[in-house]
Amino acid sequence: MIEIRGLAKSFGDLRVVRDVSFVAQDGEITGLIGPNGAGKTTMFRLICTVLRPDRGTTLIDGIDAQRDSLAARRRLGVLPDIRALYTRLTAREHLRYFGELHGIPGKELDRRIDQLVETLRMEDFIDRRAKGFSRGQQMKVALGRALVHQPHNIMLDEPTNGLDVATSRAVRDLLRQLRAEGRCILLTSHIMQEVAALADRIVILSGGHIVLQGAPAELRRATGLADLEEIFMAATQEAAAEPALAAGN
Amino acid sequence: MSAILTVFKKEMVDHLRDGRSILVSMIYPLMGPLLLGMMFFFVGGSMRLSDTGPLVVPIVNGESAPDLVRFFAKEGARVEPLLGDARTLVIGGRVAFALILPERPNPTPQKALAVRLLTNPSRFDSIVATSRVVQMFDAYRRDTLGERLRGAGLSPDMMDVLDVAQENIGRSAGPAIILLTMIPPFLIFTLFTGGVHVALDTTSGERERGAFEPLMINPVRRYEVLAGKLGAVIVFTLMALASQVVAFWVMLHVVPEASLGLVAPPSALRLLLVVSVCLPLVVLAAATQLLISAVTRSMKEAQTYLGLLPLVPGLAGMVLALAPVRAQPLLATIPTFGQTLLMGQLVRNEAVSVVFIGITAVATLTATGLLLVLGFRLYEREGILFPQ
Repeated sequence: MIEIRGLAKSFGDLRVVRDVSFVAQDGEITGLIGPNGAGKTTMFRLICTVLRPDRGTTLIDGIDAQRDSLAARRRLGVLPDIRALYTRLTAREHLRYFGELHGIPGKELDRRIDQLVETLRMEDFIDRRAKGFSRGQQMKVALGRALVHQPHNIMLDEPTNGLDVATSRAVRDLLRQLRAEGRCILLTSHIMQEVAALADRIVILSGGHIVLQGAPAELRRATGLADLEEIFMAATQEAAAEPALAAGN
Repeated sequence: MSAILTVFKKEMVDHLRDGRSILVSMIYPLMGPLLLGMMFFFVGGSMRLSDTGPLVVPIVNGESAPDLVRFFAKEGARVEPLLGDARTLVIGGRVAFALILPERPNPTPQKALAVRLLTNPSRFDSIVATSRVVQMFDAYRRDTLGERLRGAGLSPDMMDVLDVAQENIGRSAGPAIILLTMIPPFLIFTLFTGGVHVALDTTSGERERGAFEPLMINPVRRYEVLAGKLGAVIVFTLMALASQVVAFWVMLHVVPEASLGLVAPPSALRLLLVVSVCLPLVVLAAATQLLISAVTRSMKEAQTYLGLLPLVPGLAGMVLALAPVRAQPLLATIPTFGQTLLMGQLVRNEAVSVVFIGITAVATLTATGLLLVLGFRLYEREGILFPQ
């Protein structure tokens, strides 16, 4: 479970995240959506302790991420927006590298890599160097290294960005499978249909604060709108027009 | 520790597959020995030839001083009439020097013979040949004066005022020694360039590509990641150093001894001692590169400063090669300077002071420690992970 309490972050005079609080539950997919510049990526970086918040707390399975960042990171698997593979390493070497950084011993690591190869259908390129990989292949390697240590909590930043239909579908199926295993999944996406299809809970960020959050049915009731895209546009435009916040716990 | 080893292993595998890293660490260092070897061969060889072969004396109006011409021939020189403009031929290097005698014989034999000697000190062969012909002038002067004293009933021994016995106790002779003392600055230069591509790529390069962030999401401390990367930079620097030292050793044994002008080139053991003096600098160089990559905002900016960095110690070394200074303890406290002095002594087969070595090592390691602490602290900054 990922619990965010009163998180805030500024860069100089720019307040990027303002008093954000929400919970991403186990066995659920939580969608974090918002316009460009809303603070989604900064939120991700705060949660995985790459950035330090000015205020607030992040709890990963009850572990305070600021007090014990290493323990928190062990329970997190993160697919960042920029995949940034090492072009001279093979896909297998990527998974092995990140697995070793998580302290997974040799034989067990090999077994997990083989499992991931099968799950992510990487057989064709697992022993090829990453130079020249397609977007889909890059995403699979990046996802593989986020999952190699079998984290309970998984964060994905734009997981289907630039992918073809078949690969996007495969990613969605995988996320449903991980949810069924009881894992906590937090993802961001600009594709409203995807969020609507996957998310059990939605958090809408705008201007660094939460403007609306809840299950899709709750959001429809609250706004009187049926389509998630309409809900999103209404919430973010309202937030842009008025200074009042509509944050919930 | 295992995180450090994991990162180190990955960086080694990654960069051993990188053509540029191999080029910079294994091939570029060979340029120094190749260049120095060619200099030894051509410069040293031509000076040997100028020094040992028969002296050619290009002369204008030789018929006006037949006695002098006969003396040159008696001394084994080859007198040749100079055809063409003497200045042009000397400046152009066609002749080492030109001797211009008066058009008519000296009307008063007791009066000094006016001789014009045109030389070109910008050429090594001219310097050597001029030195030889001036020695012949001294011999002719002494010979002629001796005859005149005998003619006057006096002993030629009256000319002997001093009896100087010069004893050359150096191991080397000629300009080869200057070229030999250029080896240390080449080594210093390699220390600061051998691992630079790896240093740049693993720090500024990864930051620009956005690869630092996914790496730091793992349960590793930043100093562990940096230590692993530093290890890889150190290994590539050592590879460059080894490559260059082996090439120097080969060069010193392939270039003809006549060109080297050395009594004996430095042995393999001596060269190993030279390398051991350099070792503290390997870590200093890597730490400096890490620091520069931390404070610069982009890979291009880091490349600019890292490109200039080797010039600082390298130039100091070049100056020392041409104007050697005594190895004083105070100089040992300056990293790279102390090592350059020590290496110069070792390649010249001179004795070195253990105290000097100790001071140099301690000073360098202290500076390295400070740079590493500063570098690691800078990498704790938040923004360091992200492209600018």
